[in-house]
Amino acid sequence: MIRTGVQTKNIVNDGHPEEGFSMIKRAGFSCADFSLNGYLLNKEIYQSSLNRFFDASVSELERFFTPHKKGAEAAGVTINQMHMPYPVYVPAGEKQVNDYLRNEVAPKSMAVCAFLKCPYIVVHGFKLARFLGSEEKEWEETEKFINFIAPMAKEMGITLCIENLYDGIGNHLVEGPCCDAVKAAERIDRINEKYRAEVLGFCFDTGHANLVGIDFESFLTTLGGRLKVLHIHDNDGRDDLHQIPFTFAKTRENKTSTDWEGFVRGLRQIGFQGTLSFETAPVLSAFPETMKQDALSFIARIGEYFAGGVSAS
Amino acid sequence: MHISCGTQGIVNSKHPGQGIKDIALAGFQNIFLDLSVVCPVWELENVGKSAQKRGNGASWIFEHPEEMRSRGGFLADQSAKGGLKISVSMAPYLNYSTKRDDLNNLLERLTQESVMVSAQAHCRYLIVRPLTAGIGNADLREVNRAYYLRLAERAKKYDIQLLLENQCRNHNGHLIRGFCADGRQAAQWVDTLNEAAGEERFGFCMDVGACNLCGQNIYDFVLSLEGRMKAVILRDCDGSSDSALLPFTSVAQGQSQTDWLNLIRGLREIAFDGELILDFHDTAVAFSPLLKPELIHMAKSVADYFAWQIGMESLLKKYPSRVLFGAGNMCRNYLKCYGEKYPPLFTCDNNGKLWGSVFEGLEVKNPQVLSALPKDCAVFICNIYYREIEEQLRQMGIENPIEFFNDEYMPSFYFDRLENR
Repeated sequence: MIRTGVQTKNIVNDGHPEEGFSMIKRAGFSCADFSLNGYLLNKEIYQSSLNRFFDASVSELERFFTPHKKGAEAAGVTINQMHMPYPVYVPAGEKQVNDYLRNEVAPKSMAVCAFLKCPYIVVHGFKLARFLGSEEKEWEETEKFINFIAPMAKEMGITLCIENLYDGIGNHLVEGPCCDAVKAAERIDRINEKYRAEVLGFCFDTGHANLVGIDFESFLTTLGGRLKVLHIHDNDGRDDLHQIPFTFAKTRENKTSTDWEGFVRGLRQIGFQGTLSFETAPVLSAFPETMKQDALSFIARIGEYFAGGVSAS
Repeated sequence: MHISCGTQGIVNSKHPGQGIKDIALAGFQNIFLDLSVVCPVWELENVGKSAQKRGNGASWIFEHPEEMRSRGGFLADQSAKGGLKISVSMAPYLNYSTKRDDLNNLLERLTQESVMVSAQAHCRYLIVRPLTAGIGNADLREVNRAYYLRLAERAKKYDIQLLLENQCRNHNGHLIRGFCADGRQAAQWVDTLNEAAGEERFGFCMDVGACNLCGQNIYDFVLSLEGRMKAVILRDCDGSSDSALLPFTSVAQGQSQTDWLNLIRGLREIAFDGELILDFHDTAVAFSPLLKPELIHMAKSVADYFAWQIGMESLLKKYPSRVLFGAGNMCRNYLKCYGEKYPPLFTCDNNGKLWGSVFEGLEVKNPQVLSALPKDCAVFICNIYYREIEEQLRQMGIENPIEFFNDEYMPSFYFDRLENR
């Protein structure tokens, strides 16, 4: 049975995490994408001004996240996926920052993932093609990182999920790491074979794919069963807006400019049985506080609509 | 590499003289004949909607496709008189946003006529877009395979090579990856068609604008088509709206919005030596006719610059030995990317404090030693003050070839830059 989920950012707070998880459940979701990346923001990483959240020991982190774990359980929400802070490598960044990301943040993220009994963690590939000259060489560096954490993943029963990303040229967003489904499939198979375990899978981000004109159906059918996790959100094809699906139109006919039909067809063709998870946190900060629950319920309803399409014979 | 100037926006199909002259005076020797100048997109979009005749009494071309030959032929003749060769032509096409799914037979007829026009114009390549309107995904492959193979028969007769081109697909106003947008699949298309044709009747034309609209990894795209890539259409756009702007003019936050770095990296790596087409018709249309000659001159310089950047490695290869001038970041970048393959004998610099030192493993010498170089050894200037240094060397009596090296578009980059050298 296909489930629906949503990211916890802008819903679950550290003071009373149980309230946020209840809200998620009331909206109609049964799963949550735990926004671990919210504890070490990418803007701060790029500016080398890291907070010291991940200085805490694993047991301290487990203590910190115990209310979250209990809150989710009490609400009947499964934490099915989470997001490792990103980037995990800053090109031309300070060595101590990159060492910290690799040696502290990544392993502790894995530990938190295991503690929350979450089966999937999304990791970002390194953005190095400009410097190294090609996506292949860029991937070699990402693969070194994957090889660093894959043994942990295997031991903990977690699947790392690489995600299709974008990069920027001026204000034009273009293909970043992991936008080639054929290459991704080959790499996932090769690495899983090496570890004799499903340590690597794929997270398909609809918004990122839409920004770079990827054909959803073709991409998803190429990935097939390697697709483990989704980041569902919409945009105008120009900016990474993380909005509600079906929001954007570009012509007077006012039809959705994102290929949601292709998305559903693709998932149906590969027999996707995972979680339709929405990465739509900005929606919740855009709507007035009093409408937050309604907005969330609406997103959940869209999830049900998608689920119906994916399950249809 | 042949550089061609697109005629759209510059050459009027009925009064082509001035546009052709402007192109020739700018230094172009070849043009790209987009036959939509004689059978415009708007005309195709209006097929059957109006019985109105053209103002000058001429009929609509869709009513008399055979007139493609006379109208295209007229342009070809005028171009030849103006001293321009037609290197590549393109058959008429519909917009990505078209809703006309009833014109496939007409498009095929017009394309067959375009083969004849190309033959008349002694043009080797004809770009033919696929038939997509009204054809579902399931049938797209078979319909177009049959279409291209029918065209191949006539193309063979007139010895024209048909070029497939990467396309966008319009999804409710959003342009996404369409036919041949995947480099590997495009390569497979070309190979399969050639196999069926029994000869190399098909090749590929890369539309950089279409790649940019889909935010594609241009380097990978180029590499996957190596050997099949016969032509490249250079055009700029903002990555969202389908336009043909002069390269380097679609800019935001001080940066180009097209990934020229990966285009040049890719074309340099495959040693591209085919047809380089500059299509800037939207820019050209926006300019006053009074300013167009200067614009076309500028366009020629831009095209030459691309050809030079793409051919950088070939330039290094051309000389049996070489020395560098400059001992800074550009020299460092040379050594990183080409030092092993094309090792310089030494470098020199005007900064006397550096003489005798070793920079990145290369000895830095006084420029005076250049006068003792073997005659066929080239001096590659690795400093942005190219013209000043070139003048200095000539004044020193250096008669060796002097070339400019440039590190704006390198196969790879250092993570840092050296400061205060």
